[in-house]
Amino acid sequence: MSILKKPDLSDPELRAKLAQGMGHNYYGEPAWPNDLLYIFPVVIMGTIALCIGLAILDPAMTGEPANPFATPLEILPEWYLYPVFQILRVVPNKLLGIAAMGAIPLGLMLVPFIENVNKFQNPFRRPVATTVFMFGTLVTLWLGIGATFPIAKSFTLGLF
Amino acid sequence: MKMTYALRTLLISFAAIVLFLTAVPGSATAYPIYAQQAYENPREATGRIVCANCHLGVKRTEVEIPQAVLPNTVFEAVVKIPYDTSVQQVLADGEKGPMNVGAVVMLPEGFKIAPPDRIPAEMKEKVGDLYFQPYSEDKENIIVVGPLPGDEYREMVFPVLSPDPNTDKTVHFGKYQVHVGGNRGRGQVYPTGAKSNNAVYNASIAGNITQIAKADEGGYAVTIQAEDGKTAVDMIPPGPPLLIAEGQTVKAGEALTSDPNVGGFGQADAEVVLQSPIRIYGLVVFLAGITLSQILLVLKKKQVEKVQAAEMNF
Repeated sequence: MSILKKPDLSDPELRAKLAQGMGHNYYGEPAWPNDLLYIFPVVIMGTIALCIGLAILDPAMTGEPANPFATPLEILPEWYLYPVFQILRVVPNKLLGIAAMGAIPLGLMLVPFIENVNKFQNPFRRPVATTVFMFGTLVTLWLGIGATFPIAKSFTLGLF
Repeated sequence: MKMTYALRTLLISFAAIVLFLTAVPGSATAYPIYAQQAYENPREATGRIVCANCHLGVKRTEVEIPQAVLPNTVFEAVVKIPYDTSVQQVLADGEKGPMNVGAVVMLPEGFKIAPPDRIPAEMKEKVGDLYFQPYSEDKENIIVVGPLPGDEYREMVFPVLSPDPNTDKTVHFGKYQVHVGGNRGRGQVYPTGAKSNNAVYNASIAGNITQIAKADEGGYAVTIQAEDGKTAVDMIPPGPPLLIAEGQTVKAGEALTSDPNVGGFGQADAEVVLQSPIRIYGLVVFLAGITLSQILLVLKKKQVEKVQAAEMNF
């Protein structure tokens, strides 16, 4: 397509920029107006249509009135809190549970500082950090799924 | 209509009184009435359906209900109470027999069992001879059925009529919860707290079993002698099989019988959307508008690309 610009690798100026990790926006389709004016609205309208469709076809339910004197038989927080909830309910000591919960935001706050030890940004050039991240993701998923099982089954997820 | 309700309530209460007065441990045809008598609402604030207070075994119950229904429409709610039909339960007289099933369906406010003339013939066939009883006079949206022979009714179809918010201003469009409880087998406890003959019997004191006598009405009278010479007689009705023998020493609270209960109760929650047809029309029109706009934007972009191509310097 004639609209597409390709990098002119014979241009020494561009080559010098590319060598510094810059200049990548010298090729591809122009952002304005092709993308910003015509394709962004398509995506935005699609998103709005999906949200409204969901709101009409599967509206949010008004929950039952809460009763502070009657704990429901099964308690579960919102889905994004499942992993932390699982930690809190399986740890035998309440203080330990609070400490483990508090360690999550504290640990995340340390990430930017520890991350800069390695000068690379590419995940494949940071094998240790990437491994830790992947392991953390798996543990989070495991804890999150475990939260929906009874405690006895929550570690094995009922598989073993 | 009012008359029949009054009459029915009267009959039920009369039946219940007769049951309580004559044979509390005995009838296997009365369980929903126990709940109806004791609880105004069959669902406790904790979310537990009260049947679980007497039916102590935990078993699975499933419910199938449409995701959304239109107002003033008849739809099916299917309650499944699965169990192994080869298993037999202890009956009130101690004999073994097939299990019974029963269910309670708590529909959202305004929903009720469809009147017979509204049920299509096809659905009528699936429903069979089920008799649906409202939980109480003012709670038409809560339905109890049973006890029924489990061989035929492990899957029950409830023909439900949805309300119309346009005519009934107390009902609104939206999503609502449906609670279902299903039970198979007899209960373990009577509302008085007395055990049925479908439960474990325990030693009342620690000691030595000196005698196991067959009682006249079936069952056993187990005499336990404590170390200090005190004796206690534990009556075991016919049904639960004995675990102990004469001369054996038991601790207080130790099981004298094995657990004869093979049934159990389970509850399930479902959600149903009472959907307005006008909203659906609106959504279709809106989505068509969105699609058209997206297509036009892409076409416009293609046109602009042509202009861009034409202006290019080769």
